[in-house]
Amino acid sequence: MGDAGALTVREATLVIRNQQGMHARACQVFVRAASRFRSKIVVGRDDLEVDGKSILGVLMLAAEPGAEIRIRAEGVDEAEALEAMRQIVEDKFGEE
Amino acid sequence: MAKSRVLTGIPASPGYGVAPALVLRSPEPAEARRLAPHEVEPEIERLRGALARARQELGQAVGELAELGEDEARGMVEVELMVLEDPASFAAFAERIRGERLNAEAAIQAVAAPYTERYAAHASPRFRDRALDVAAAFRAVLNHLQRRELPSFERLQEPVVVVARDLAPHETIRFEGHRQRIVAIATEGGGRTSHSAILARTFGIPCVVGAAGLMAEAQDGDWLVVDGFSGTVELRPSGPALERRRRRQLRVASQRARLGDLRDLPCATRDGRRVELSANIELPAEVEHVLLSGARGIGLYRTEFFYLDRPHLPTEEEQLAAYEEVARRVHPESVIVRTMDLGGDKVASYLGATKEANPFLGWRGIRFALHHPGMFRTQLRAIYRAGVHGNLKMMFPMVTTYAELEQTLALCAEVRAELARQGQAHDPDLPLGMMVETPSAVWSAPEMARRVAFFSIGSNDLIQYTLAIDRGNERIAHLYEPLEPAILRSVDHAVRAGRAAGIWTGVCGEMAGEPRVAVLLVGLGVEELSVSPFDVPRLKAAVRAVDFAAARAAAEACLGMRSAAEVRAFLARELDPLLPPDLIGEAEPGEANHETAAAGEPDAEGGA
Repeated sequence: MGDAGALTVREATLVIRNQQGMHARACQVFVRAASRFRSKIVVGRDDLEVDGKSILGVLMLAAEPGAEIRIRAEGVDEAEALEAMRQIVEDKFGEE
Repeated sequence: MAKSRVLTGIPASPGYGVAPALVLRSPEPAEARRLAPHEVEPEIERLRGALARARQELGQAVGELAELGEDEARGMVEVELMVLEDPASFAAFAERIRGERLNAEAAIQAVAAPYTERYAAHASPRFRDRALDVAAAFRAVLNHLQRRELPSFERLQEPVVVVARDLAPHETIRFEGHRQRIVAIATEGGGRTSHSAILARTFGIPCVVGAAGLMAEAQDGDWLVVDGFSGTVELRPSGPALERRRRRQLRVASQRARLGDLRDLPCATRDGRRVELSANIELPAEVEHVLLSGARGIGLYRTEFFYLDRPHLPTEEEQLAAYEEVARRVHPESVIVRTMDLGGDKVASYLGATKEANPFLGWRGIRFALHHPGMFRTQLRAIYRAGVHGNLKMMFPMVTTYAELEQTLALCAEVRAELARQGQAHDPDLPLGMMVETPSAVWSAPEMARRVAFFSIGSNDLIQYTLAIDRGNERIAHLYEPLEPAILRSVDHAVRAGRAAGIWTGVCGEMAGEPRVAVLLVGLGVEELSVSPFDVPRLKAAVRAVDFAAARAAAEACLGMRSAAEVRAFLARELDPLLPPDLIGEAEPGEANHETAAAGEPDAEGGA
């Protein structure tokens, strides 16, 4: 906490709340947003971890409604990146 | 010539199509081959080229679909393109080629396999429906690798039924400009929410998905009958049967063209009696059909899907999200959520239920729910909470005794008090109703009606319990008969009991889906009919064609009859002349679901 080391790691745990879960279109929205940041973005579910900027990776999560995912951002714009990704999940990937 | 066969799949897009098959065979499985070391780099180049051509093809498809305004299909192809453009895709293929010295085709299949496996085993049916998606996107690359000539619709002059394992969104671009020649689509894979299903619906093409055995059975040129209402695919019907099916196709087509105009008109008899015409759904995704059908709201939202086909119990939040979604989309019309109707033939393994000798007389419906108060409370909480987002009602399945109803209502009161204590937003006045689907509930209806806000008659179970018929038993299934006077009298009794207590009675079940029977139910005083969204336009047309006074007179006459055959004959004589002829023509002589009509009675079509 408050450790101003060279490498800080920010992580958030979120619940998928949109009606369809992280289906292809939701993954597309997620990946496009993640790709705008310079930080590395890793998404995890259970013991699987994938690259948040790769649609092939994010599709592998197969996160249904109610599933819990972890998002981790590491890099120069990590705080901003994590906040943006959290927003996207909470906004249900812009659906409805 | 091979024998006629009927395959049962899942109805994915309503309509009825009869034409010779055009079978689209997928390029896989390509032969896996171990490369010699010097072949590795050229193979990677071969893959790179095919990948580039596939991207170009998909990019072009996106452009064309955008121009055509096909946004749904365009969105799907965009995702496929994104998969091909993902550097991780090329990296994964190259790794397999270099590391395992696989040829490019085998490498692609090896990369797709874990996706197919993970999705196919997924707890959620929606994700299972997506099992083939990644493989379908890669199929564009496989086609280019093998420089395969795809069957072109350009050469088609005659109507066809398109048959495939599944359809990738990018493959549907080839339908463009030939849609009038594609009279139906049938796929072996997929579910109601698969891409093939969604695309067929957006294109308005009748479609059945999940027809197991289809690819092995169907050959190019075989005559196929695709019934997008019931979900069957009939292969190679005999000559006379084929003629009947083709006539039916014409009837359904003209009827649909006309029924589309009814969507925004009210469902009322000619002399002004309103009937609430609503639809049954199981998945939130089906709301789309409901809204398109012109139904007023949802009369039966089944919730078993949360509990079946998955390894764990649904959480309150997960259920809340689904109920809320449906309530919002259907608002201001109402949605009746039926609480879990588990047991019987619907049991999830993790609930620890054991096989029963007599499941339909066993641990099911509200009995099951009251035995699992924790799980039941979670659902009640979710429904009460979702109630603030729309016009929600709740009803309980398979209530047999007054004591069960009391116990259920007490549990609801506890849940409301708990939510209030926790300061959790909920609708404390959410109307509570019950299903009338056992003879016991029919006879206890006068007392029960004083405790609930509405009755909904579940006709399938009520018929089964009243007539002591197990529909699954082939020897007696033909005795299952909605028009037995005992059934009509049961409906009459429940409706009267309800009216005496000031509540309305609806019918949800297959019985309500047949136009002439629906009119009879209206005559019996039923105020709401809830049916499959696909049946909504037909029922509306039927209700709008009659006077309530005539329906009422017909109902009174039928209540005094001795047999179903007598009732059927009477309806054919008195009611059918009032209904639009193409509505009553639905029953083909000799078609499965009407085959059981008593011998000698005037048939819907055959008579006169």
